[in-house]
Amino acid sequence: MIEIKNIGIKFGGLQALDNVSFSVGKGEVVGLIGPNGAGKTTMMNIICGLYKPTEGTIDFEGTRITGLTSNKICHLGISRTYQIPQPFYAMTALGGVTVSVLNGKKRPNMCLSDAGLEASYYLEFVGLFAKRDELASNLNLYELRMLELARALATTPKLLLLDEVMAGLNPVESNRALDMIWSAQDQFGITLLWIEHVMKIIMNAAQRIVVLQYGKKIAEGPPAEIVKDPRIIEAYLGGKRK
Amino acid sequence: MAVVIQNIIVYTIIWGSIYLLISMGFSLICGVLRIFHLGYGATFVIAAYGTWLFMSGMGLGLIPSIILMFLLQIAIAILVFYKGVFQRYLDEEENLLVISMLIFMAVAHFANYLYPTTSGVNLPTALVTGMAKIGAVNISYEMIAAAAVGVVVTGLFVLMFLKTRTGLIIRSMSQDIYAAKLMGVSVDNMYYLAMILSIIPPTICILMIAPFWGIDPFMGASLLMTAMLIAILGGLGNLKGNIIASYLIAFIHFSVSFLWAPRFMGLAALVVTLIFLIVKRGGLMAGETIW
Amino acid sequence: MVKFELKRDRILLRWGLEKLEWCIEPRYWRNPIIGVALLLILPLFFYSFPHLLTMLTTANLLACLAIPLSLQILGTARVNFGPQLYLGIGGYTAALLNLHFGWSPFFTLIATVIVCGSVALLLSPTTWIAKGLYFSLLTLILPLTFLDLTYQFGDLFRGEVGLFGMSPLLDLGRVRWNYMAYYYLSLFMMLLFILIADKIGRSRFGVTLAAINENEDVARMMGIDVSKYKVFYYVFPSILTGIVGWFIVHTFRSFAGITYLPLDYMLKVLIIVIIGGRAFVYGAVPGAYFVAIIEEVLRGFGHINQWVFPLVLIAMILILPRGEGLWGLYHKRHPRDYFPKLHVRRE
Repeated sequence: MIEIKNIGIKFGGLQALDNVSFSVGKGEVVGLIGPNGAGKTTMMNIICGLYKPTEGTIDFEGTRITGLTSNKICHLGISRTYQIPQPFYAMTALGGVTVSVLNGKKRPNMCLSDAGLEASYYLEFVGLFAKRDELASNLNLYELRMLELARALATTPKLLLLDEVMAGLNPVESNRALDMIWSAQDQFGITLLWIEHVMKIIMNAAQRIVVLQYGKKIAEGPPAEIVKDPRIIEAYLGGKRK
Repeated sequence: MAVVIQNIIVYTIIWGSIYLLISMGFSLICGVLRIFHLGYGATFVIAAYGTWLFMSGMGLGLIPSIILMFLLQIAIAILVFYKGVFQRYLDEEENLLVISMLIFMAVAHFANYLYPTTSGVNLPTALVTGMAKIGAVNISYEMIAAAAVGVVVTGLFVLMFLKTRTGLIIRSMSQDIYAAKLMGVSVDNMYYLAMILSIIPPTICILMIAPFWGIDPFMGASLLMTAMLIAILGGLGNLKGNIIASYLIAFIHFSVSFLWAPRFMGLAALVVTLIFLIVKRGGLMAGETIW
Repeated sequence: MVKFELKRDRILLRWGLEKLEWCIEPRYWRNPIIGVALLLILPLFFYSFPHLLTMLTTANLLACLAIPLSLQILGTARVNFGPQLYLGIGGYTAALLNLHFGWSPFFTLIATVIVCGSVALLLSPTTWIAKGLYFSLLTLILPLTFLDLTYQFGDLFRGEVGLFGMSPLLDLGRVRWNYMAYYYLSLFMMLLFILIADKIGRSRFGVTLAAINENEDVARMMGIDVSKYKVFYYVFPSILTGIVGWFIVHTFRSFAGITYLPLDYMLKVLIIVIIGGRAFVYGAVPGAYFVAIIEEVLRGFGHINQWVFPLVLIAMILILPRGEGLWGLYHKRHPRDYFPKLHVRRE
């Protein structure tokens, strides 16, 4: 569905990504892991159109998306959540999701109340319906993460990019979030590209894992292989003492 | 034609140096405090009218008036602007900017109330009199003296930033304030120092150009405008960009003035700045750090 | 008989089994009607004081300037420090076309809209290309440069004296009636602007407006074409401001750039946006009346008003609750409404 070919990007003197290629098929759940600073969020920003790569291309369902602006990429069907939640703080939860509903795809005939109705459906799906009139500045971290998810789902994406959804959640909240993501994938039929640090979750959830380190892809494969790969262990924990 | 080119070159160099003095205070505050000191025009007005107040109102001589005026400037900069406005409204910038402008308006109108334009304010700060002749260009010695002072003051500032420990501290603060705080820099003291340093160029500028630039309570607005245009073109808060932009704006002003018509000076500078901003997003040196 | 109860946010009238409730809440639709009725009746008290009528008309016009400005600040996500540029452009267009070509007010209106629209369209790329604070400083400089231009082309623009003798919008014969008519016309224009801003704010575009003001990058990621909205929210309020200029030309029948273009005037308008508070549209009305009344009161004290007026405005900003302004003193906050926060952006 999305093919990433030889993406490289340089920030000043720092080569943040170097010749990274992988692809994600329709309906797959692919995990993107790597130690801190490997370039995972940069990769996600490039897919979403925030940065322009210095080399390489990305094709999404046959369309080249590397030069497009973020809103066109969103209309094509890619949506993302943020590592540090970035809600619209002065708006209510309902308002934030309504923005997504109205602008995610071309909706020329949708009025505000219809959009509010659809937004409340998404909020109810993630479990935030009771807090729909709360200002986003009053929600706690789990609720903000769920709000991000609802906002991303409201744009009816085909590909959802998740950026460290589990960071900062306790095990109970993690399980609930995982269930939410599974049912989202089930019900809306979306493909997931998932950056995660919590190994337990990603190893169980993903069908395929791509590992980045220092901007380069060092491994790709099913979770069972990745866990045993000595290079990955060295990347995360360091090598054996000789 | 050769005469025109000589005129352009001479006036660019002379007035570029004077513009350096006008804009350096603004750039300094932009670069260090990261605040747009829209009350900067008040510095010019207080420089001129403060000195006149001490001289004519209290009958003091020129040098004591200048010293007292400096003290007044420092007091107003730190007490009124820094403590009263900047510290209180750091997170509500629109209030900060509006209040700074209102203070500038109040100061200008107060100066106008005390000494309206008709009351003949003039500062006897002329160092040399007479006209010089450079090539085919007639220019007064006073302008050359002002330009020379401009270059010297800028040079001293650059030396301070590059060679002294305080300059190093200020440069580090303008790059990353949090890292500077972690290194143990006393940020408040340095901010006071930056505010005081930012007063020096415009005051010296007014004192030097008083003989040939009309003193008028509302001159702060046009001088602030020039300072802002230079700061924008050079990259807000960057001294290197400021220096280059001063000469660039002087060049634009005087080439338009001599080659076309003096009345398009300001508009030409603005149009060039606009085009520049569209081509390169942040001005000449877009680092937004002091050096 | 009739029992009268005062609750925290409503007044109750009871007689027998019947009950009449009146909510003291500005969004309750009857309350704006009270406000409008008050404004409609007000000039009848000032019939014999024409300069007070002019003061009220000026108040209405200041509100008419503050409303497009707040729309512009929210929509372009940048603070515009020079809204009076389009006032000057619109005013001079209307005045010059009327004086030199004899165009009637209707045609000068069309010309004003076209000229202001084109200039705004030309300058609109600066809203997304220039970094936030660069744009704000540029907007500060533009009106002063335009004022400079009017001085340079003094034969055309008549510099400080200004243009005068334009044809009036309507002439009712007696001067007193003219003043009243102008007040009602300016009131009508102000209510029209409030209606426009309100309709935009409560519609689907209002939600998008809020999103752009909050966080541009995230808004872009949600599928909002931010550049297109910025162009609209820069050009449309500029046209509205130009229309105010047209109105000034044809009611006061004189127009001098020196009155409307320098920093003093801009500060008055900006103060209204700030004092009016985060309600961003309705707050403009009490803010504008407040500023106009204070200016008139201070004028009575003589020449000292020039420097006391900025100090009074500073005191207002310091005293009023932060971010809420005059409107915040009265309005009961309801989270479903979006209270915008003005961001002075650097990026």
